[in-house]
Amino acid sequence: MSGRVIVITSGKGGVGKTTTNANIGTALARAGKKVVMIDTDLGLRNLDLLLGLENRIVYTIVDVVEERCKLKQALVKDKKNPNLCLLAAAQTRDKSAVTEEQLKDICEKLKKDFDFILVDCPAGIEQGFQNAVAGASEAIVVTTPEMSAVRDADRIIGLLEAKEEIKSYKLLLNRVRPNLIKSNDMMSVDDVVEILSADLIGIIPEDTGIITSTNKGEPIVNDEKSLAGKAYNNVARRIIGEDVPFLNLEEPQGVMAKIKKFFSGLTGKEK
Amino acid sequence: MILANLYNKVLGFFRQTEKEAEESSKDTARNRLRVVLMQDRTNLTPELMERMRKELVELLSKYVEMDKEALELNLEQDGEQVALMLSIPVIRAKDEDEIKAALEADEKEEESSEDEEDEEEETETGSEDDEDLDDNSEDKDNSEEKSEDSDEVKDSDKKE
Repeated sequence: MSGRVIVITSGKGGVGKTTTNANIGTALARAGKKVVMIDTDLGLRNLDLLLGLENRIVYTIVDVVEERCKLKQALVKDKKNPNLCLLAAAQTRDKSAVTEEQLKDICEKLKKDFDFILVDCPAGIEQGFQNAVAGASEAIVVTTPEMSAVRDADRIIGLLEAKEEIKSYKLLLNRVRPNLIKSNDMMSVDDVVEILSADLIGIIPEDTGIITSTNKGEPIVNDEKSLAGKAYNNVARRIIGEDVPFLNLEEPQGVMAKIKKFFSGLTGKEK
Repeated sequence: MILANLYNKVLGFFRQTEKEAEESSKDTARNRLRVVLMQDRTNLTPELMERMRKELVELLSKYVEMDKEALELNLEQDGEQVALMLSIPVIRAKDEDEIKAALEADEKEEESSEDEEDEEEETETGSEDDEDLDDNSEDKDNSEEKSEDSDEVKDSDKKE
């Protein structure tokens, strides 16, 4: 087996890297793939929380590097899906505790046993980013339709293009709000794609379900009804190589939206 | 029915406030972002752009009378290509004598045989519309650069 190493990065913090990682990882595992996620955000780990695995961590990536345990011992199995593992970051150390070479080495070893190695990258473009990218050959750049996130994504894309090991990168547009786009208060998907001139791998709508799913430590892809969950599932299918059309986010979803539509339809005020 | 009425009123209120902002907000974001990304990608800071703008005003003023404050110089992206877009509101086309005078004043400082060619071209474009003037002034820009280059060559020759 020779797994694909995909780094999930963004430059800017808070755009949904870790959420994206948890959901794509879970979705790939649900599709029957063997997946391991590496949290490289040393000192600020969170992937464990989103997966609800925070109480199961015994060893971290730093323990592996400093040879206090074997690589396999440090892999935490997911509660539900035996195909899914997490290699957690150390919470008490900083980015210098692991080097680019060491991360590359860990990725190489994991490639033998897993179909997908998803690397959760810290925010920023410093050493933490360099480490996370070191072992990867593909990248997913997460951004939102906000100026600061798009600008940082552009910077990240520039850095990725300069890296020989990165063979391809794709754009994932997160926290899209169709209503705001409709009222011209948010840049559209096309706007962002045009500005960054990058290939799109997913459009994820803003979804309050993400908050509750994070609260529970349960990725939203497990929720069949969630639109964001569906969108993440589609991203996973595209990664596997399926040709999946992008979700139509234009149609209002949910009961409130339907009521709204009904009323505005009555008065003909609907734009 | 009363409820529905109320709902619509509330909805209408929000729509109104939305509409006031809708013209700009998204387009503003997109345009600001485009500009800032161009600057990031080309290393042309706002200071450098302003300097380039001033130099262009100085140069082009020899040929046309323009609104110096309104001259716009922007970096734009067209696919993979980055372009410098120059927009010059022309107040009045200068007449032949004025252009000659401006160029002669220039010639005193730097001797160049190519300036005469510029002069001829300029009188031709004088009667054409603004857009053409813009294009031609950009051409001038190039020829000016060329003449400067050739000056440099001459200078170095002299030194040798």
